[in-house]
Amino acid sequence: MNIAVQHATGKKANKLQSTRIAGKLVNDYWEMVWRAKEEGKLICWYEGSAINPFLEAAGICWVHGEAYSAMLAARHQEAKAQQVAEERGYMRELCSYARTHLGCAVSNQRLRGDGAGAAPDDDDLTWKLPAPDMIISAYAYCSTGQQWDEMTSRIFGKKVPIFNVSIPWIWGSKPDSGYLQGQEWEETSDYVTRQLHEMIAFIEKQTGKPYPWDRLYELMADIKRASELRLEAMDLCTAQPAPASFFDWVVSIAPINNLPVAGVKDYFETVLAEVKARVASGEGAVPDERYRLFFDGIMNWNKVGWLANKFANYDAAVIAGRYTHMAFWQEPNLIDPNAPVRGMAQNFLICPNNHSSPILIKLIMDLCRKFEVDGMVIHASRTCRAFTNPQFLIAETAHRELGIPTSMFEGDVTDESFYKDEILNSRVEAMLEAIDSRRIAGAA
Amino acid sequence: MDRQDIIGRFAEAAQDPLGYAKAWKARTGRQVIGSFPMNFPGELAHAAGALPMILQESDEAITVGHGVLFPFYCGYTRSMVDQAARGRFEVLDAIMFGDHCVQLLGMADAIRMKLPGTRVIFFQLISSMNDPWTQGRSEESFAKLRQELEEFLGRPVEDAVIRESTRLFNSNRRLLRRLYEMRKEGTAPLTSVEMQHIVKSSMIMDKAEHTALAEKLVAGFENGTAAPSRGLRLHLSGHFCQAPKPELLAMIEECGVTVVGDDLFHGFRYISTDVPEEGDPIAALARWYMDRNTGVPCPTRVQNNVDWDAFLLKAMREERADGMIVLMAKFCEPHMYYYPEVKEAFEKADMPHLLIETEHEGMALESLKTRVETFVEIVKRREAALA
Ligand code: SF4
Ligand code: SF4
Repeated sequence: MNIAVQHATGKKANKLQSTRIAGKLVNDYWEMVWRAKEEGKLICWYEGSAINPFLEAAGICWVHGEAYSAMLAARHQEAKAQQVAEERGYMRELCSYARTHLGCAVSNQRLRGDGAGAAPDDDDLTWKLPAPDMIISAYAYCSTGQQWDEMTSRIFGKKVPIFNVSIPWIWGSKPDSGYLQGQEWEETSDYVTRQLHEMIAFIEKQTGKPYPWDRLYELMADIKRASELRLEAMDLCTAQPAPASFFDWVVSIAPINNLPVAGVKDYFETVLAEVKARVASGEGAVPDERYRLFFDGIMNWNKVGWLANKFANYDAAVIAGRYTHMAFWQEPNLIDPNAPVRGMAQNFLICPNNHSSPILIKLIMDLCRKFEVDGMVIHASRTCRAFTNPQFLIAETAHRELGIPTSMFEGDVTDESFYKDEILNSRVEAMLEAIDSRRIAGAA
Repeated sequence: MDRQDIIGRFAEAAQDPLGYAKAWKARTGRQVIGSFPMNFPGELAHAAGALPMILQESDEAITVGHGVLFPFYCGYTRSMVDQAARGRFEVLDAIMFGDHCVQLLGMADAIRMKLPGTRVIFFQLISSMNDPWTQGRSEESFAKLRQELEEFLGRPVEDAVIRESTRLFNSNRRLLRRLYEMRKEGTAPLTSVEMQHIVKSSMIMDKAEHTALAEKLVAGFENGTAAPSRGLRLHLSGHFCQAPKPELLAMIEECGVTVVGDDLFHGFRYISTDVPEEGDPIAALARWYMDRNTGVPCPTRVQNNVDWDAFLLKAMREERADGMIVLMAKFCEPHMYYYPEVKEAFEKADMPHLLIETEHEGMALESLKTRVETFVEIVKRREAALA
């Protein structure tokens, strides 16, 4: 059977309409960032963990490095930043989020920092990112996160104050270890909580004002609610056909992860309502759902819509993923809005990679069972080893425990040159054929 | 035993670390604890009566390891999972390691899955080096490591014994640093390959045995006369977890170069810093951990108030080095992040350097040789112009 021929019918993903709102919210957010200096706001750069509510409460404008790089990639404007980074010696094998963002930092320094460069061009988003007044580094698992921040600080001549939060990896080898449990979990939770309190002292020093705790409580109450709505909507995708896809949840990352909190609850209310309506009417995220897939790996930001259509064309609903379903205020129950810091620390600790394989893989297998997937697509993102680290182990376990086929393709977060279309096509087709054969064998 | 015999002994252990461990185990009946680079305090495992050894990249081509880690990982991590999957680590009773870099964590995770019968102990080391709580947190980590060791071995590891081990390890490091001094002065004209054998074997061999041999070696060089350096004086920099291939080092020296200093992990980085011998031994290990990074800054740590580039330039002034060759293991992210800082600082200081990326397999030595020769010519011409 030649699936490529059979499926080449130009079918498109039936995207959630409500995710369009995310696009507007994202644009408004970046406009706010670009205006921040003129408005006299302090600017903090950070990557990784969603410490933005801490900053938003204190009236500090926050810039999430990955989000900036992803935005440039989504707008196909990442090349310039990557080139500037390469000129300074950052090699192509480095995390493309980091090198895109570092390219922005270098460009910013050249064009307005030391006055040595050419006049900036207003349409060029590479230089437009406003320079930081402070840097907070709070990256779980991936050493690149902390080094990226350190290098940013060095690009700015070490003049920008930097604060490091160390988030331990959860190794989980003790008999009492498990997801959200055991001595190691409690100890690491305490340790990160203590550091977040130190971080607040750092923020107070930068703003020169006492920290507005009440404001943080309000924001966290909203985030908790938004997270519950998001998870409820995701859970409804156990329905067949699935009302929304992994790609819809990818588009919904920015709202839950780094946009201003006002508007986020409304956004997920709208999303949930649409998902419910689709379940009621039996409308699916792909026109003809014949396969249900799990997506392991981080996103190819230059390819979100494109991949969504590609899978729709294969009649494959990509329903859940490690990136979308195991991160971003994933455990709202841990957050007490009136004393949120420990719960925030714990949510940072459960970033999808920060659990070592035994715990991580069990969570992934549970998701695969819950959403009744037939196969797994694995995006081996060339420059994000944090995500690729356990992928062979994940594939092995999926075969062994679930008996499902997997297919791996190489791509990258924001460097398109690592992506090979033909490989994705042939591997996905082989996997879908394997699923078909299994079905035929099962029916016989 | 003459000088060559001693170096020969070191070379044997360096070339077959697991073979050495097997023989040691058969001889002593004691446990062997493997560790990953670069911050494991071998002193603790030694005090517990075990043989601590830093696990080494092997020369073997990677086969089964291809199904465990992707090809875009550094040679060290790929070789380690390959060795684990092939059953090469049977001699190990446990593996212990601290937080280091993301690839190493992935490798450790995979090794634990591949070796269900081997205890793999992780201790989280804070990598942010100048926070007010770095010392305290490091003490907590080392205390935990000690506790895990005690649990694993089923016996306490006493303070007094840790202090003894500390003294032994310090004396070993001091001896090797003395060799570095004498190499700089020209009284110990050791080649880079010899130097690597000496340091690498100290990561593997029983410390007392290694120290006794090192004492003889050092004594044989003391009071010698300084030989004039052959050709250009160069510093070798970089290469963290794995030892640069001996053929590469030999090739560099064949191009009319004398290596007068290095900050390789299988070199000066490993032996740079002693553990304080007084006071609480766990606090002393934490101090050592922090001092190492101010002594020889490491790109896997972050410390805003020390600069690897400045360290290199200073070391090279002291070594009277004319240039530097950077050896970078392909795909090593910590190194790639820091390299632009080094490049910029060296350009500013008008100090020449050459970057060589190394690979586990298939390094084209001939074309690298042409690059090194060209670099040597450029530096020579520059020296002549400055003279
Ligand atoms: S390598 Fe991956 S996890 Fe690490 S900083 Fe980059 S995107 Fe984040
Ligand atoms: S520091 Fe470099 S050489 Fe060492 S494990 Fe990490 S990537 Fe590999």
